[in-house]
Amino acid sequence: MNAPFEIWIAIAGMAAVTYLCRAGGFWAMGFVKLTPRWQGWLAAMPSALFAAILARTLAHSGPIEVAGVVAAFGVARILGDDFAGMLAGIGAVAALRGAWG
Amino acid sequence: MEGQPLARPAAFTWRGVRSGLAASLALAANSAVYGIIFGALAAQAGLDLAVSAAMSAFVYAGGAQVACLQIWVHPLPVLAVWATTFAVNARYILQSASLRPWLAPGGAAKTYGTLFTLSDGGWALALRRWQSEPADGGFLFGAGIAQYLPWVGGTFAGHVLGNSIGSPAAYGLDFIFPAFFAAMAAGLWKKRSDLGPIVVGAGAALAAEHWIAGHWSLVIGGLAGSLVGVFAHERAV
Repeated sequence: MNAPFEIWIAIAGMAAVTYLCRAGGFWAMGFVKLTPRWQGWLAAMPSALFAAILARTLAHSGPIEVAGVVAAFGVARILGDDFAGMLAGIGAVAALRGAWG
Repeated sequence: MEGQPLARPAAFTWRGVRSGLAASLALAANSAVYGIIFGALAAQAGLDLAVSAAMSAFVYAGGAQVACLQIWVHPLPVLAVWATTFAVNARYILQSASLRPWLAPGGAAKTYGTLFTLSDGGWALALRRWQSEPADGGFLFGAGIAQYLPWVGGTFAGHVLGNSIGSPAAYGLDFIFPAFFAAMAAGLWKKRSDLGPIVVGAGAALAAEHWIAGHWSLVIGGLAGSLVGVFAHERAV
């Protein structure tokens, strides 16, 4: 079946908006001189965004997911291995849901 | 992270692409799971298979696509769809800005092609990797396509299978992404001055989630937290 024309317009616009976001920050930063102040801003971006993503996830979930984040963070920190931490987090959530869910 | 020599030339090698692919197996699994979920949701919302797959292939942004399904009615509110897409994806502006010191002055075509594949997970993985290795744009591209293919394939599968698939939540599969970010945060957290952006970013995101529209919370958290980095730098000088 043929989708109405407006659907393809909507998807083309979604694609354009998304690519402009993905490329736009990089492009715009090409016009500023990367002074230490700008570098401080850009360097702090990952931690700030990670924290925002995690906080938003946890705000929409329960104690089991909080325990999963603590497990992932703790194991990654102690073993110095990101992947082990991730598996610990997923395993903890699956086990706790199995026990209580 | 401040004080590093940031102007080193950016490479783009096939070795980097392979390394990015290899490092992204968990992200690829996550992408497949979410692709299947999106495909099933899109089928429920009345999008046909070609439309769902085209959306995943050209937009390639799960959060925005799921959010747009909530307002996918007839007649389609096209402007609202675009605005929602922007609200959910505005965080990519910040992510791609943060790549400037690492990818410039790389080849423009490769860099802007790579940016099409930019994802939360690939970005996090690349910045983590570039702490210890010279920046290679190929790594980011490899991590991007490692998730792109399962995302589009998962959309197909989810649309065809519809509601006959079981719940991935029972196996904790919906938790791959939060677990990934928690583990990444543990690796990036090096010294006490990193704590400021984390606390302010999380706090501002939660406040925005509570008092403003939820889709802006990541951008607000990212902006507020990263500004701490500017002030931290000024105090250090």
